[in-house]
Amino acid sequence: MTHSVQISSAIWGKLPAGDAVTRYTLRNAHDMQVSIMDLGGSLQSWLAPDRSGRLVDIVLGHPEAADYAAQRTYMGALVGRWANRIAGASFMLDGMRYAVDPNEGQNLLHGGWHGFDCVFWDVAEVDGGLQLKYESPEGEGGFPGKVAVTVVYRLDDDGTLTIAYDAVTDAPTPLNFTNHAFFNLSGPRTDIRGHILTLDADHFLEIDAASIPTGIAEVAGNAFDFRTPAPIGARLDWPNAQLERAGGFDHCFVLRHNPAEPHALRRVASLYDPASGRELTVSTTEAGLQLYTGNHIAGQKGKAGAIYRKHDAVCLEAGAFPNRINMPDPEAVILRPGSRYRQITQYRLGVRDDA
Amino acid sequence: MSRTQTTHRIALLFNANKVYDREIIAGIGHYLQSTRVVWDLFLEEDFRCRLNGIEQWDGDGIIADFDDPAVCAALHQCQMPVVAVGSSYRDAALYPVNLPYIATDNAKLMELAYGHLIDVGLQQFAVYSLPAAPENRWAQEREAAFQSLLDADGMTGEIYRGASTSALAWNESLEQLSAWLLALPKPVGIIAVTDARARHLLQACLMAGLAVPEQVAIIGIDNDPLTRTLTRTPLSSVIQGGDEMGRTAAHLLHKMLHGARFPGVRILVPPVGINVLASSKHEPPASPYVMRARHFIRQYGCQGIKTEQVADYVGVSRSSLEEYFRRELGHTVHHEILRHKLELAQTLLSGQQHSSAEIAIRCGFTSLQYMYAVFRRELGCTPKEYQERMRNPASSEHGLGSAP
Repeated sequence: MTHSVQISSAIWGKLPAGDAVTRYTLRNAHDMQVSIMDLGGSLQSWLAPDRSGRLVDIVLGHPEAADYAAQRTYMGALVGRWANRIAGASFMLDGMRYAVDPNEGQNLLHGGWHGFDCVFWDVAEVDGGLQLKYESPEGEGGFPGKVAVTVVYRLDDDGTLTIAYDAVTDAPTPLNFTNHAFFNLSGPRTDIRGHILTLDADHFLEIDAASIPTGIAEVAGNAFDFRTPAPIGARLDWPNAQLERAGGFDHCFVLRHNPAEPHALRRVASLYDPASGRELTVSTTEAGLQLYTGNHIAGQKGKAGAIYRKHDAVCLEAGAFPNRINMPDPEAVILRPGSRYRQITQYRLGVRDDA
Repeated sequence: MSRTQTTHRIALLFNANKVYDREIIAGIGHYLQSTRVVWDLFLEEDFRCRLNGIEQWDGDGIIADFDDPAVCAALHQCQMPVVAVGSSYRDAALYPVNLPYIATDNAKLMELAYGHLIDVGLQQFAVYSLPAAPENRWAQEREAAFQSLLDADGMTGEIYRGASTSALAWNESLEQLSAWLLALPKPVGIIAVTDARARHLLQACLMAGLAVPEQVAIIGIDNDPLTRTLTRTPLSSVIQGGDEMGRTAAHLLHKMLHGARFPGVRILVPPVGINVLASSKHEPPASPYVMRARHFIRQYGCQGIKTEQVADYVGVSRSSLEEYFRRELGHTVHHEILRHKLELAQTLLSGQQHSSAEIAIRCGFTSLQYMYAVFRRELGCTPKEYQERMRNPASSEHGLGSAP
C-alpha cells in the first residue's frame, strides 16, 4: 500500500470555554480527503469521489465545533473507555463490584458522562498518518486503572482509512473502543434506505427495551440476514419485534471468524449506494459490528445547512459485544497490566459501476 | 393426497418470461435455502400463469404477481394466505386491500436513472414509455415519477408512449420513434421504462443517424442480459431489487403459514444497482477554456510552449486554467502538452522514416535524453523498443504502457 498522503492542519473552531479545536486533513493522491479533529479524535469529514469523480462529504457531522461538545451525538468520535452499553452501569472484576456512569437510564453508554468523545487528544504526524494520544485517568467514568491510549489514523491511495487502536493500563479494567462515524454515501442527497448492505454474520444479539443484549439469535429467516446484499430500506419495513423495539437497526452482529485466529483482520461488511456508485467496505479484528440506522436522528442541524432526519445515516461500529463484561467469559474484554489492547478497523471507499 | 404436516404447498403465480419475475422467483428460492424451510412449490412448467381453477386448488398459500389484473380478480376472495407482488402506486387506493404487498419502488427506479443522467452531465431529459394498458400500470407510475422529478427541479421533459410492439407495425412504429428522437433537443438523456423499450431506442437512433451516447444517452430498467446481447451499443440499465422482493414475499408468507397476518402491510423495495455501460457514458462538452487550450496545444505543442503561454492564449489565469484541466481532464496543462508531444513522437516512430534524434527535435523535446526519459516513464520502454514493437507486434510481451 502506498502512502503519498499530504497532511495539513488548521484551527477549526472554539469551544465556549475558549479552547481552540484543530482539524487535521489527510489527502491522498486521488484528492480523497479525511479530516480528523483533536476534539474527540472525531472523523469530521470524508470527501470521496462518486462514479463520475465528484467529491462529496460522506459522513455526517455538526456545523460547529461547539456542537460536538454540547450535543454528544458521538458523530465520527473515538468512543471509550467502553463503547456501547454496560447493563446497570456496573460490573464485577476480580471479586470487586465497580459502579460506572449511568448516563443512559440505568446503563452506561459510550464511556459515561465524559467519554473519549469529549476530550482533546494530542495529535502528531507520524509517517503519513496521524497519531492521537490520550491518557485516561484512574476512575474516569468510574473505571479502574490509568489507561494510556494511542490511535493512529492512516489514509492510503486506494481509499482505505485505517484506524489502529492501542492501549495499556496500570490496573485491570474492561476496554472496548470504536469509531462512531455516521455514513451516508449519497452525500447526504437522500436517506440510507436505498443503500445496499452486506454483513458477514450468521448471528446477531437480540436486545431488551433498554438495548441490552438478551441472547444470540440466527439471522436466517428474518430481517437481519444480510449475508447476501439487501437494501436497508426494505429490511427496515420487514415486520420484526426487534426492529420495532429499536425503531430500526441498533443491534450487534456476531461477525464470522476463523476460530484458530479469532482476531485476524478480515473483511466483514460492505455498504453500497447504487446512485453514486460509492462502496464502503469494512474490515476489522473485532468480534462484533453494531449496525445503527440513525433511528434517533430527528431534525438536527448538520454540515452545510443540512437538516438530518431519521435514517439519514448508517453506523458500522466495530468492537466487542455490548455489555460483554457482564456476560460469560468477560476475560476477553479485560485489559491487565503488562498486556496490550489492540484493534484495527479499516473503512475503504471505492466506486462500482454495476450491481 | 397425503403429505407431511410441515411441508406446505405454495403456488407461485407469475408470468416468469421476464428477468424481473425470474429474479423474484429466485429470491423466494434463496429465502427457502437460507432457512431450510421446505415448500412444495407449484408453478407452471412454461412459467406462464394460468388461473383456471385456482380457487379450488388444494394448497396452503400463494405468492402472486398483482401487476396482472386477472390475478387480482382471481385472488380477490381467496381464503388462503396470499402475498401480492407488483408495482408501487402513488395512489394508495390502487393497492389490493387486506393483503401484504411487496412493491418495486417505481419512484426510486426513476430517481436512480434520472440522477445518473444528471451525473453524466445531461440537462435535457425524456422518457420512452408504453401505451397505457391495465397490465402495465407500472409504466404510467414511472412516467409520473419522472414528471415529479422534473417538477421538483423546475424542468420540463417529454414523455413518449409509442406503439405496442407488433410485427406488422414494427417498421412504422420505429419510424415514428425516430421522428420523435430527431425532434428532441440534443444532447438528451432518455429513460426507457424497460430494457426492451431501450432496445427500440437504440435501433431508432441507428436508423435516424443519432449518436449514442453523444447526442442521445439511454438508460433502461431491468438489466436484462438478453437485451444486452441483442444491442450493439452496450445498454446501461437500472437493476430492480427482484431478488429482495422474492425474499421479502417468502418471509411474509412463511410467517402467515404460522398464523401471522399482515393486512395492508406494504414493503417498497428500492433498486439495487445501475449497470453503467456505453449507452449512458455521455461526456459533457469541455469548458470553452479547456477546448481553446487544447486547440492551442494541438497547434503549437511541439514548439516549446509552456503552461503560461497557453493560459495567455486562452485569457485566464494560470491557476484557473490548471483548475479547469484538473476538473475536466484530471491532469495538468503541462501533462497535456507532454502527451501531445508523446503522441506525435509515437506516430513518427511507427512511420519508421525518422531517427530518434530527429523525432525528439521535431516533437519539441529539449534533448534526446529527455524524450527517452518521458518514454520510459509514460510507456515503460525506450523509443527504440517502441519502434521495435510497432515493427513486430507479435514479439512484444507487454502491451503499451504496461510496467516492465
